[in-house]
This record gives sequence, structure tokens and C-alpha cells, in this order.
Amino acid sequence: MGKRRDGDLLLGTLDLLVLRTLALGPAHGHTIAHAIENGSEGVLEVEHGSLYPALYRLEEKGWIASYWGVSENNRKAKYYRLTPAGRKQLVKETNRWDRLAQAVNRILRPASTE
Amino acid sequence: MSWFPLRRRDRHDRESAEELASYIDHETDLNIERGMSPEDARAAAFHKLGNPTRIREEMYEMFSVDWLEGWWRDLRQGARSLRRSRTFTLTAAVTLALGIGANTAVFSVSDAVLLRPLPFPQPERLVQVVVHFKTQGRESHQVSHAGRAWEVLREGITTADLVACKMGAGGVNLATGAGAEYVRQQRVGAGFFRILGVPPLIGREFTGEEDRPGGPPVAVLSHSLWRRRFSSDPAIVGRSILLKGEPHTVVGVMPESFQSTANADLWTPIRPSAEGEGGGMNYSIIGRLRDGVTWAAANGQLAQVGSSLLTKANTADSRAEFRFLSLQDGLTQDTRRPILLLLGTVGIVLLICCVNLAGLLLARCAARSREMATRLALGGGRSHVFRQMIAESLLLAALGGALGLALGTLGTIGLSHIARQTYDIWQPVSLDLRVLCATAGVALLTSLVFGLAPAMYASRTDIREALAGGASRASTAGRHWPGRLLVVAEISLSVILLAAAGLLIRTFAHLNTISPGFDGSGVLTASLSLDDARYHDAARVVQFYRDALGRLSGTPGIEFAAAGLTLPDETALNTAFRLPDSPRFREQWLTSNVIYVTPEYFRVLRIRLLRGREFRDSDTAESQPVTIVNESFVRRYLGDSEPLGRRIDGKTEVVGVVADVRHASNWGNFGPLAPAPAMYVPAAQMEGEALKLFHTWFSPSLLVRSSAPSAVTMQALRDAVAKVDPELPVASFRTLDEIRARTLVRQRMQAVLLAVMAALALLLSGVGLYGLVAHSVVERTREFGIRMALGATKGRVLSSVIASGMTPAICGVLLGAVLARAAARLLSTMIWGIPPGDPLTFAGVVTLLLLVAAVASSVPALKVLGLDPARVLRLD
Repeated sequence: MGKRRDGDLLLGTLDLLVLRTLALGPAHGHTIAHAIENGSEGVLEVEHGSLYPALYRLEEKGWIASYWGVSENNRKAKYYRLTPAGRKQLVKETNRWDRLAQAVNRILRPASTE
Repeated sequence: MSWFPLRRRDRHDRESAEELASYIDHETDLNIERGMSPEDARAAAFHKLGNPTRIREEMYEMFSVDWLEGWWRDLRQGARSLRRSRTFTLTAAVTLALGIGANTAVFSVSDAVLLRPLPFPQPERLVQVVVHFKTQGRESHQVSHAGRAWEVLREGITTADLVACKMGAGGVNLATGAGAEYVRQQRVGAGFFRILGVPPLIGREFTGEEDRPGGPPVAVLSHSLWRRRFSSDPAIVGRSILLKGEPHTVVGVMPESFQSTANADLWTPIRPSAEGEGGGMNYSIIGRLRDGVTWAAANGQLAQVGSSLLTKANTADSRAEFRFLSLQDGLTQDTRRPILLLLGTVGIVLLICCVNLAGLLLARCAARSREMATRLALGGGRSHVFRQMIAESLLLAALGGALGLALGTLGTIGLSHIARQTYDIWQPVSLDLRVLCATAGVALLTSLVFGLAPAMYASRTDIREALAGGASRASTAGRHWPGRLLVVAEISLSVILLAAAGLLIRTFAHLNTISPGFDGSGVLTASLSLDDARYHDAARVVQFYRDALGRLSGTPGIEFAAAGLTLPDETALNTAFRLPDSPRFREQWLTSNVIYVTPEYFRVLRIRLLRGREFRDSDTAESQPVTIVNESFVRRYLGDSEPLGRRIDGKTEVVGVVADVRHASNWGNFGPLAPAPAMYVPAAQMEGEALKLFHTWFSPSLLVRSSAPSAVTMQALRDAVAKVDPELPVASFRTLDEIRARTLVRQRMQAVLLAVMAALALLLSGVGLYGLVAHSVVERTREFGIRMALGATKGRVLSSVIASGMTPAICGVLLGAVLARAAARLLSTMIWGIPPGDPLTFAGVVTLLLLVAAVASSVPALKVLGLDPARVLRLD
């Protein structure tokens, strides 16, 4: 099948990326998908469809909120924005991620970090 | 469940559809900007997004308000899917229902007959005294004891409260103002009710004074007799009733709930002694262990006290010992084996049901592998597919359970009706919910295991392979082995049941058709109780017979009339005698059935006289004692020497030999119904004491051969008795067919029940085999198309399909036959007249199963004939 699902990404990574993208301002699904793809320089190539369930999950958790609006192309689009709870979560997740990344780095390349 | 969350979810679903459409629009715009054509731009957008169905499904599930709702949806979907495949659903549900229903019914009845504790306080402390024999490795119990044994145990046993009694009831005459009635009397010793733990409702039970030879005549009434004949009069205690032609004082009335060891209307003291009746083994002894006494201690004392009575029985190759048996085991001794057999067979039926269900589910799942693959390819989540399969299994189990409950209820009613004619039922029969739940649980487990295993398999289905027709292309032979094994298993189980049923049916047929030795057509009998003070004198009995038979002989239509202590097909009295003129048996006590008869007995029953003469009116108490013996008696005891003129006990002369007739004998090992050695003696030569004793055990019969309609004959019998003795009620009118049916009721019940189980098994395995073949035909359609296109004839394809069903069937039949041959040994005590390996039964069973297998594999195989290779190949 060869289809990658969000579970295939490092757990929670997609959520973090979405929150990070929305920290810059409200955006609709299409924009977020491209922002993530570009921001990771193609390393994290995500099937764009798998973004949507993640958006719904985050909305259920109250970290983001949605509203219908009109896009730059003059098309109807569903916009998402970060809620205050989402902003807190972003900080928490970023810190956690940094600690994890450092830990992994120390284990993988002990020589280069010394 | 509220519909509100579902509406909310549907709104969400529409919204996510719009949102995905919005993405497609934006991406298409972007692609057009990059220079693609509008069509390509849109296609590329879809590619970038991924599968919209799957995304929506995933979100759809996230909206599910709770776990329950998800299940609710899966159940509804499962119900739809089951409704679409009606044949499968019906077959599976009926299979389940049969298994659950049959088990519930059989267990409910077995519980009442065999398993539930007796309805007495502390039933586990109740005991029955038996003598346990071990002869050359074979164990047996003797439950009856002589008066001498009772006296020894009564004096020596301190660990239990014991009482002598009769376990069964006999018929006696009760005369009240409303006329004479035949009622059932059980004779019990003082302390019987105390030991069972049920005091009389009013009055008291028998005292030791009343329970000794020559004691005052007293009686205790059952609640139902008290209500029916004495209008529940509380002043009955102390009053006198005319029982057995003698005034008896009523000393007590038992409560309505009381059930004795026999179905009795009243109780009288047994008055045990070492004389008369007590000279033979005619007493049962039951008791209650005293508080604080262990079984081991009680048994130890009993064995020690009883050992003095068994010095002769203990020989080099035989050990005998007195033992306590729990009263429940004692009372259910005869029913235990048949009931356990029934439980075993119904368990096998359940097993076959489960195997069948498993086969059905496997086949269905394989048939659906393409559907599954399609759904997965369209983006259906694996967990989703998985859950739906579970939901289907649950629905199936629920449906089967509901049907099973209905079947079980009907079955319990029907079966308890049959059982009531056959066994003593100690408890009210009620539908056993525990069993219903247990069997339903087994069914649920089966459907889950066999619904899930394939579901797991399905969720791992390689979509491309399945879609490309891999299921039909791959070698199917290898993939069908679970289904085939299941068919082998269920067919061999069916062979076991069919063989067992066949053996019991053959036994029953044998018992019914053993050369009867008499002609019962046109014969009507009337039994009556002569256990009556007015008939304690032998002369009175002879006079009664002479007067009644004289009246009957004068009645138009009646050819012959006679009287006899017992009739053919009934259990006969047996007695011990000696043959002092026999070189071989001079020193031994011998046993034979004994039947007193009047001269025309042999003519009424058309029993052939082979040698010598019949009885005559001139054979009286004053003349030479004579006897007529049967062929079995001659063969067994008199050998080849001239039987006529031989003397029994040194005095009674053999004057004739008659053909054997069937008897039920409770000695020797003749089977339920078979010719046994018998001596006929003239009623007129019976001694008073012997007559009195025999009449306490047996109600004799008048019997007539008549060409008149039975209603007329019945009236003639009733009139004759009433004219001679207006106080003497007729207990029952019976034909000889009815007597035989009564004697063989257990054998018939066992044969019928086992046949029903075997028929179920046969049906189920036929269905299972049909399913296997039908499924493989569907699956291999493509393969057949190719083979036919390549030149295979339809006949060849057809025979290969039939062979795919017959191969496991033949394996199953062979395996089953071997197992059944071994299992037949367990039945050996229930089989008569045929060997346990009866070739006819086994050949019949094998033929029947092969026939069913042939039909079950041919019918679906015939579909192949309608195949058009060209169309089949175009299909994919």
C-alpha cells in the first residue's frame, strides 16, 4: 500500500508542527499542509490528507479553534487558529521535544558533542 | 440511545467533506498556476491529498461520541450484512439454536432426575445400605437385605439412624363410604419419616410397637389422599379406615410437599422380621448418619458389623462388604448411566454444532476476502473491518441464543413429559438458565473464535492479490485444510452418535420382536389387589377365581378366561428351589420365576404346550402337587433327561413343558425382556402363607381372550369382579401390548432420544459438508472456467468437486467407525441380543453417512454443469 499515516510520523510530531505553524497566525488546511512540507524541507513529506484528522483531534482537545472564511483565492475555506491552551501546549511540547532531541543526539553522536 | 449524537456527527461529516473539497480547489488552483491543464491539476490535487474516503472515515470515527455508539453502528452494519446472506445466517443460527436448545432441555431434565440434591433436610447425610461385591474385577451392589441382616445391623450400628423399608409402593384396596379404591401403599419401618427429616403435618409416625410382627394395624396418609378421600378432615387422626379388608387406625398425615422414595398414597408399617418375607432379600435399609460421624467411620463400623453376615459370600475370587451409599446415589442407580449417556450425546451434538458453525464462518470469511480487500483498498480502516466481524459474530450468537431459548423451552417440556413416564423425578423440572447461559457462552465463544481468526486473516489480506483474483488462482487445496478437518471431525462424531443410536434401536427392536411365545391379540387383562384380609385364606382366593372366571366363561364373546400372578412381559416373582433328583444340581439352591395360574392361562395366551398336559380343575390342594415348566427351565436345569415326572423340591411333579415366553426378570442376566426359566403352578395348590406374601408384592390379573369389542370385554370383567366381591376394585385394565410398552419404556426412551441426537448430528454434518463443497465451487469457478477452456470435460470437473467433499467424508466415516467401535463398549450394559460391534448397525451407519455425504457434495457440485467458461473468464 505504501501509504504513510500520521502514526508513522514520530508520535506527536505532526501535532507539534501544526501548532508551530498556527503560532504564526490563523491558516486553512491547504496552507498548513504546504507550510509543514516546506518548513521541513521535504524531509517530513506528509500525505496532505492525513493532516485533517490531526486538525480535528487538536480541535477536540481545545488547542485550536476553527471558523469558516474566505481565502486569498476567494474560495470558501475553514480556518484554524491557536487557542491560549494551544499556545501553552506548544511551549510545553517544544521544551519536551528539545530535551528529547538533545538526549537522542547525545546517544547517537557522543564524540561530536564533546 | 439518543439519535442526537448521530445527527451531530452527520453534520460534522458533511463539513469535513466540504473542507476536503476546499483543499482540492486550492491545490488545483496552485497546480494550474504552475502550468498544468485543469484536468491534470485536479488529478494531481487528489493524489497529493490521498484517499478522501479513508480520511473522512477516520474523522467520522473520531466523532463517535462513545465506544457504545461505535458498536451500535457496527451492529447495525453487521445486521445488514447478515440479512444480505440469508442462507448463511439462517443455517448458522439454526445450528446454534439446536445446540443450545438440546443441551438446555437435556440438562434441565437431568438436573431434576439425577443431579439436584434430594428434597430432604441435609440430604447429604442420608444413606442406603448395600452389599458391595467385587467378583473377578467386576463390581456390583446388592440393595435388598434379608430380615436377619436387618436385625444384626439394627443392633450393631450406632453411627447411623437406620430403618428398614420398601423403596417402592404396591397396590392395595381402600374402602370408604364412597366405594372401594385401589391405592398405592409403601411399607416403611418406624423412624422412616424421622430419618428423611419430614415430620407429619398432623398426628405422628409409626412407633416401634406398631412396627413389629403382630403390631396394631395403623396407617399414615399422604396429603393428596387425605384431601381427596377424607376432605382434609383434621379429625381423621385416630379414626379407623378399611384398608386391605381390615380396619387400620390413621395415626398421621404427611405434608403436601413431602415426597417419599416412591409415589405413595399411604404408608403402613413394614414389620420386619427374620421369618416369612424376611427369609428372603426383601428389605431396603436406609438411614441418616448421626451428627459428627464421618462417612469413613460409619462405613468402617458397618463393614465390621456386617462381616458376620457375609462369611459365605467372601470366597477366593469374590469379595463382599456392607457399605453406605449416599441415598441419592442409591435412588438414582438405574437412571445414572442412561442419563449420563444422554448428557454425553448432547454434549457431542453441541460439539458438532460448534464445528459446523466454525466451518460456516470460515467459508463465509473466505468468500468475503474479496469484499474485505475492496473495503481496505477503498480506505476502510482495519480495526473497522475487524470490529464489524466481531459484531456479526455477536449478532449471530444472540440470534442463535434466542432461538435456542425457544427450542430449549419446548424441548424441556417435551422431554420432562417423556422422562416422567420413565424415571422417578425428584424435583420439579424447570428450564435451567445456568445451562442456557453456559451453552450460549460456548456458542458465543465458537462464533467469536471462528469469526475472529478469519477476521484477523482478512485484515491482513494482501489487497492486490485478493483483488486480482488471487483467492481463486492460488492453489485452493492447501487453503481448505481447516474446513476439511472440521468436516472430518463432525462426520466422525456423527458416526459415533449414529452407531450408538443404531445399537440401542436394534436392541429395542430385538426386545420387541424376541419370539414372544404367546399371542396377546384379543386378550384383555384386569389387575386387582388380593393383599386383603379377606383373601389371606387360600381357599378364599381359589373360590374368588372360580366364581369370577365361571361368570366370565359364560359371557358371550369370551373364549377363555384365566387368572395368573403375573403376565408375560411383566417382572415375575422368583424363588429358590432344589432338585434333589439331579446329579448335577443336588447340592445347590436354584432360582426360577414362579407364576401361579388357573388352568386356561395357556389357552388365553396361546402358549404352546410342548409335552405332557395342562393343568386341570382336578389339580387341587388335596391332590399331588404339580408344575409345568418352560423350555428354558428344562434346558438350564433338567438337561437332556426326561423332564416329565421329575420332582422339584422332592415333591412337586413336572407334568408338562410349555414354550418360552418373554419375562422381565430381576435376577440372573437375561436383559430387560427375555425368556427365563419359569415354573407354572396351579393357583389351587398354593399355600396360604405363600399366597399372602406374594400378594403383598404382586397384584394378580384376570385375563380373557375375547372376540367382543374391548369396551364390552372390559365391562364384562368389571361386572364379574363386582358380582363376586363388590368391595374389590379393579386396579387397571391393560392389553399385553401396553404391558410390554411399560416394561420397555426406558429402552424406548433411550433409543428415541439417542436417535433424535443422531439425526441432529447427521443433519448438521450434512449441512457442514454441503457448505464446504458449495463454498469451494464458488471459489474455484474461475479455475473451472480455465480448465474447461483448456478442454476438461464438465464430467471431470464435476467429479473433482464431488471428490473434494467425499474425501474428508470418507476419512470422517472411517475414523468415526473406529471410535464408535471403542465407544460401543461403554454401552455394553444397555445392548441386548446383538453384539456391540453389530455388523448390520455399523454397515447401516456407514452407508447412511456416505449417502448423505454424496448428496451433500453432489448438489452444490451440479452448479458446475451450468458454467459457461467464456463468461467466467470475462468476469474478472
